[in-house]
Parts: sequence; C-alpha cells; structure tokens
Amino acid sequence: MLAIKNIHKNFGGIRALDGVSLEVDKGSIVGLVGPNGSGKTTLFNIVSGFYKADSGEIFFRDENIGALPPYEVARRGLVRSFQISKAPNRMTVLENMLFACDQQTGESVLGSLFKRNQIMAQEKTQIEQALSLLELTGLTALANEYSGTLSGGQRKLLALSRILMRDPDLVLLDEPAAGVNPTLILKLMEFIKEIQTKHGKTFLIVEHNMNFISSVCNRVCVLDAGLKIAEGSPEEIQKNDVVLEAYLGGREKGRKGAKQ
Amino acid sequence: MGFLDLVLYFLIMMGIYGILTLSLNLHYGFSGLVNFGHVGFFAVGAYTSALLTLNGAPFLVGVISGGLAAGIVGFAVALPTSRLSIHYWAITTLGIAEVIRLFALNEEWLTRGSFGLIGIPQPLISVFSVRIYPLFYLGVVLIFLAFIFYAIRCLVNSPFGRVLKAIREEDDLALAMGKPVFHFKVKVMALGAGFAGIAGALYAHYITYISPLDFMPIITFVLWSMVITGGRGSEVGSLVGTVVIIVLYNSTRYLKDLFNISGQTVSSLRMVAIGIIIILVVLLKRGGLVEEKKKTFNI
Repeated sequence: MLAIKNIHKNFGGIRALDGVSLEVDKGSIVGLVGPNGSGKTTLFNIVSGFYKADSGEIFFRDENIGALPPYEVARRGLVRSFQISKAPNRMTVLENMLFACDQQTGESVLGSLFKRNQIMAQEKTQIEQALSLLELTGLTALANEYSGTLSGGQRKLLALSRILMRDPDLVLLDEPAAGVNPTLILKLMEFIKEIQTKHGKTFLIVEHNMNFISSVCNRVCVLDAGLKIAEGSPEEIQKNDVVLEAYLGGREKGRKGAKQ
Repeated sequence: MGFLDLVLYFLIMMGIYGILTLSLNLHYGFSGLVNFGHVGFFAVGAYTSALLTLNGAPFLVGVISGGLAAGIVGFAVALPTSRLSIHYWAITTLGIAEVIRLFALNEEWLTRGSFGLIGIPQPLISVFSVRIYPLFYLGVVLIFLAFIFYAIRCLVNSPFGRVLKAIREEDDLALAMGKPVFHFKVKVMALGAGFAGIAGALYAHYITYISPLDFMPIITFVLWSMVITGGRGSEVGSLVGTVVIIVLYNSTRYLKDLFNISGQTVSSLRMVAIGIIIILVVLLKRGGLVEEKKKTFNI
C-alpha cells in the first residue's frame, strides 16, 4: 500500500534520513521505533507531504505522492497525526470532528451561502458519525467543550477520532500513546486492532512504548541516525543485538551494525 | 446642520463602517489574517464606483463593480503573499494600502490626484427632497449592511467557516485534514476585500467627494479598534464595536463645550480615547464586548 524508497533528507549539515526504504502492506500495522532524533517524525513529515525529500520516492497505492502538497496526500486517504497534538483553542471537540470531513458542500463560498438545506442534511449524518466515534474514544461528554481545554491524553484521543472521521485507508500515528494513562492505552490498543481487523485499515505508528508496539504491530521497523537498522516481527526486534545497541550502546556501533 | 441631520449622518457612517468592520473581522477574527491594509480595499471600491458613475454608469452597477474591483485587488494581493507568515503578511498589507493611496494621489489622469473626485452622483437624488434624502440613503446602506451581515453569518457558521477557524488556530492541522489552506486564505481575502469595496462605494456616493486624504492608514486602525472592542470572531460584536467607537470618536468634540480646551487638543484626545478603550478591553475583556460564540450542538 505504501512504499517508501531510498529517502534522503538533510537539514543543513544534519543528515536526518540517509536512504530509508520501507513498505507497509494493506491491512497491516507497522511500528516505527528508534531513539530520539533518529528520523521517525521527519519520515512522517515527508510521507504526509509537509517536507519534500531531497531524493527518493514515495508510492501510495502505486501513485508517486512525493511531490504532492499535504492536503492532496490527505485527500488520497493517507492521514497523519502530530506528535504534539494540534487542538484548536476555540473550536469544540465536535467542530474538530466535523471539519475533518472531505467534500462538504458548505466548504465552498457559494455552497455555504445557497445550499443551506444540503449542508444541514450532511451535518446531521456527520454528527451521528462523530458521536459514535467519540463514544468509542470516551470523549462524548466533552463534545461541546473547546478542544483547547483538553488534557494531553485527551488530545491524542481526539486526534485519532478526528482522523477516523475522514475514513482514511492508511493512518500515520505519531506517538498515539504518549501522555495517555495506562488503562486508556489498553483501550487504545484494542481500538486500533479493531479498526484494523473490522475495517481493514492500515497503520504506521511511531511509538516509544514497547508494550504498545509489541502487542499491536505485525511488523516493526527500527531507525537509528537516519538509517533503517532492523526490520521484523516485534519478537525478533526485541532480541536483535543491533537494536539493543542502538538504544543502549554507542551510536557509532549502531551504525556499524547496520552495514553488516 | 440640525440635530436630526447629524444623527442621520452618524447612522449612515455607522452603517458604512459596520460593513468595513464586519469584513475586517472576517479576515482577522474568523480567519486569523492580520490585515493592516483594509483601507486600501475601501479606497478601491470608492474610486471604482465614483469613476464609473461619473462616466454615466448607474449607482448599483457602480457599487457592485466597486465590490468586485476591491475583491479582485484582494485576490491579487493574497496570491503572492498568503504563504508569508503572519507578521510579514501584516506589514505587506499595510504597504499595499499605502501603494493604493499613493496611486490615487499620483495618477492624476484617472483620479485627479489630490484634488479628488467631486460631484459623485447620488442615486434617486431628484426623487426625494433634500431633507428626506439622508433617510433614504440610510435605508440603502442598511440594506447592504443587512445582506453582508447575513452573508458573513452564513459563511462563518458553515463548514467553510469551520475550516477558517481551523486555519486561524492550527493551520498545519487543517492541511493534514485535507484542507487547501492557501486557497481558503485567498478566497477569504477576496471576499472581505470585496465587502470593503462595497462600503467604499457607499461612502463615495454619500459624501459625493473623495480624495486620497479619505484613505489614510489611520482608518485601518480605527477599524481594528472596532473589531477588538466589539469582539473578534463575533459578527454582532463588529456592529457593537462600530457603534461604540464612532460615538466615542465623535463625542469628544463636545468636550470643548464642557471644558475650556482648544479644538486641536480635542482632535488629539480622540485618539487618546480610542487608545484607552483598546487598553481597557485588552485588560478587562479580552474577547471584546461581545465574545465569540461557542458553537454547540444538541446531542
């Protein structure tokens, strides 16, 4: 479904990504792990169109999306979340959900002026859909509160629900469990697995919580200093010496290991 | 000028400024665009309508063309600048308004420069007596105000307005949710500019004389004081802010009857009064006199 091929990205003298390739199959949940500064979020930014890669290609359903602006990437069904959740201060939770939908009549100037009835009808079904999603993430009671007043964990949940409003095919989640309490993390894991199995959605997830990664992901990819150093099932990754070295040992050794 | 004439004059000016404030609020309050050049669009509308009607076009054609011309200028301004970050964009708009004013001042073949345009025709002037005419014109202004108020209310309460709010608060989020942020900014700039152009045309036909001096940058900042006082992101607030500031702006002239101060001091005091109001609002009522309404749904 998603094929990332040999992506390079430099920020001035910093080599953020140094030839990363990665494939995500339809219906799978792929974890992306690695120490801080290893290039995970940069990769997300490139795939979602926020940054342009210096070289390399990205294919989504066999279409090269490397040059598309972020909103076009999103409209093709590839939607991302942000590591630091974006929660508009003066928009309610429900407004957050409603604005996420595509192809709304009322998004054009003329439509919003002259097609009031059609907008109302669309809004009605959207609200139902939004409320059922909020029910799943436990945010129903906050539907009419400003999203700026939510806690960090609640914002993560809102981000996920908002993405699902768009009914995307591939979801990129940047640390969905950071700042979420342990009970809720369990719920979140169930939730993601359920969406995968029932609705056939595909996920690419950056996460530092290893429990989360090993119980949710089918496959894990490890980045270190802009290089992919390992890939495999969660069990394999946890036993992989190169990975352990990257996390615990010196960076140079990790790099050497990658080249072996 | 009798008392009634004065009241009518103020009401008409409140209507015209109401349109301006609403349109600036559409830019700043609803979309987060810090537009410091609103007076430029006002000027484009005034000159366009004045020139057209002086050359024989009917009033309505003039007003609508004024709105269209200002909208096109807004569109043209937004195209190259909408990718600028907010502070640079604010400076750019300030500059553009000055460019428009200096154009009007220097291109004498078109605008008669500093002499200004005189004898701008008024609609249906022969039908009404001189005493009644302002009342009729007030009606015309109020009809435009009502239409624009309704249009803006529809726009900001629709999905279009939700995207604007999202752009105002978190533009990266809007991009990630598939919204072409740039297109929305350009559209809303053109719309707000167009409404300001209509206000400009109404002004020109009311005063019947316009010159570059009518379009000094201070107008933009008076409009800002109206938006801030009334409440950013509130369309009712824009009207309240307009009334409050206009009353304040003009009531200082009566101070000289109460106290022994010169006319010059009085005109300076106007700005002081507006400055104090802005400070009070920022300190005591951040969201303005009428705060942005939270959009809630029955669930």
